[in-house]
Amino acid sequence: MPLHALKILIVDDTPANARLVETVVSRMGHATLIAENGQQALDLFEAHEPDLVLMDVMMPIMDGIAATKALRQRLQAAQRWVPILLLSALDDITDIVRGLEAGADDYVVKPVNIQLLKAKVQNFTHQIEMQEQILQHTAELEKWREQAQAQTELGSHIMDRLVSDRDTHAMVGQLNIPAEDFSGDLVCSAHTPDGILHLLLADATGHGLPAALTAIPIAHAFYRMTGKGFPITSIAKEMNQKLRQFLPPDRFVAVTLAAINVEDQTIEVWNGGNPSALLIDESGKLLKEWGSTHPPLGILPEANFSEHFEVVGYQDNCHLLICSDGLWEAEDQSGRRIDRDRVLQLLAATSKDTHLAALQAMIGHHLAGKPAQDDISCLLAWAPVEQRDLPRVDDQGTPHLQHSGEWNFAVCYWAEDLKYLDVVPPLLDLMCQIHALKPHKGSMFIILSELFNNALDHGLLGLDSSLKLSGDFVQYLQHREERLGQLNNGRISITLRLHNIDGQSVLDVTVADSGPGFDYSRYLDNEELLHQTDRPHGRGIGLVRKLCDHLRYAGNGNQVSARFLL
Amino acid sequence: MQISTRNTDHQATLTLQGRFDFHTHRDFRTAYEQPLDDSKIKEIVIDLGGVEYLDSSALGMLLLLRERAESLGKTVSLAKMQGTVKQVLDVANFDKIFPMKA
Repeated sequence: MPLHALKILIVDDTPANARLVETVVSRMGHATLIAENGQQALDLFEAHEPDLVLMDVMMPIMDGIAATKALRQRLQAAQRWVPILLLSALDDITDIVRGLEAGADDYVVKPVNIQLLKAKVQNFTHQIEMQEQILQHTAELEKWREQAQAQTELGSHIMDRLVSDRDTHAMVGQLNIPAEDFSGDLVCSAHTPDGILHLLLADATGHGLPAALTAIPIAHAFYRMTGKGFPITSIAKEMNQKLRQFLPPDRFVAVTLAAINVEDQTIEVWNGGNPSALLIDESGKLLKEWGSTHPPLGILPEANFSEHFEVVGYQDNCHLLICSDGLWEAEDQSGRRIDRDRVLQLLAATSKDTHLAALQAMIGHHLAGKPAQDDISCLLAWAPVEQRDLPRVDDQGTPHLQHSGEWNFAVCYWAEDLKYLDVVPPLLDLMCQIHALKPHKGSMFIILSELFNNALDHGLLGLDSSLKLSGDFVQYLQHREERLGQLNNGRISITLRLHNIDGQSVLDVTVADSGPGFDYSRYLDNEELLHQTDRPHGRGIGLVRKLCDHLRYAGNGNQVSARFLL
Repeated sequence: MQISTRNTDHQATLTLQGRFDFHTHRDFRTAYEQPLDDSKIKEIVIDLGGVEYLDSSALGMLLLLRERAESLGKTVSLAKMQGTVKQVLDVANFDKIFPMKA
């Protein structure tokens, strides 16, 4: 019994010959059909789709050569293969050649040697089995390919949506060279309500769809929390939580988050698992590097997560370069990598607007037409020294709304909560739910955060703002962190009141702290001091003053009230 | 990649040789099943001294092993990393996750 029972079409006009062949193959376990000439063979073939044809050459009506030719044509048109074995007398060698040329696969000379016929049929049985297996695998592969294609399209679509549809910023450029059809590296940038530029470069394990899946919660947290004014460490913490929630233990995402504050001329970087972020001046000199100081996101439980980040101040125009490891690990044909000096030299040799194009060209030249081994992405942000009166303007497109009736909100925070809470973003979120306030998000964020930060930094923590005056913002922040850690008592209360005065909607923001206060008469007497916006010292309050109708201190200076006209 | 296992008292040492990457998945898994099952073993040491290359999926495999070992009350430590292997582990700050041995 063969492994595989075939359906065999025997074509012969001599009944005795046909019967002999039939007996042989039947005993091998195959089923048979018999045709008396070529024409009948074609008809039976059409009706029964046999697996193998044993074809005599000399026959009336249509001979074996013509029938073989016709069969082969039909099979080719249907992209199928069915073996045809010619049976021919030895002196008909020309016929055999013609038959093979017409598309027969093999021949047996007549009179038929039974052993030889059996061996050949057996061979074809194996070939047919293999052919069937190949067809089956091909069909499976095709199915997989289609599924993979659909997944690629989905992943590509998701990544596109995650990075596009967003504001593009003049300060930021990026390049992306995918290892496969699309890059799994995520590069995003967005502004906080008070104009701080947030940057994100995320590199997930793997490429394609798995990488795109992990990019979704990351991009979502980045845009949502930046829009609400959360600091980058809170954003990193939230991303870590989200990823821990649904990723298996062996999946993680290397993330670099950066914040460029043009007002204060400071840059903060939190790097978990990515190559160093580089701060480079206009001459291509490396000013600072932020190496990876945390594990990638999605690994550590919340209790072990570290928010520690490093902030630096900058005095001159400079660039922040953040790249995925794909850049530094990309090998050229001789296995060489791109080293840092080469990139720094390139930045020194090109102008600000052509840096990225030059970098892209350099990588292209390095890879020399080969695909990248890993996704390569780079983010280049411009950190300028510039003085502006106002860091941003509120939505101009939206008509300003009046608010009838009154909306009040009061909240009080104690020392214990002030140590870890992001106070302003959730309050801003709450305020933005009021239609009339929403268009003023940027102004409200500045007013609220300046008044709150003053109350905390100077009112409760007793920090000396002359540290800011001396330009050493970094040292100021260090002091702040230390004292906040030691803060044991004190409170800050915030009152928001939206109401109408003579048909004009106004928002009163009052912030009071339990600190000793300060001699505000000095400020009230000196209008000029309040309007100074060119120095870090007092600039915040100067800004609030510009945005508001009035700003008044009360009590012993530990209470301040700002009125904003909608 | 070649993996050899050596047990002493409460410790199993898996010595890895060659490239530790995505293709090693099955071998690595098979190699750590025995020490995980053996209740006498309290510590699994992954000797990376002979590893010449390690990618992010290898890091994932280490994390997966750690997760399983911890649920069984065992620890996983990494040993003898050097060169590029050490660099990769440094960038990922794995010393904050795994005990490291010389």
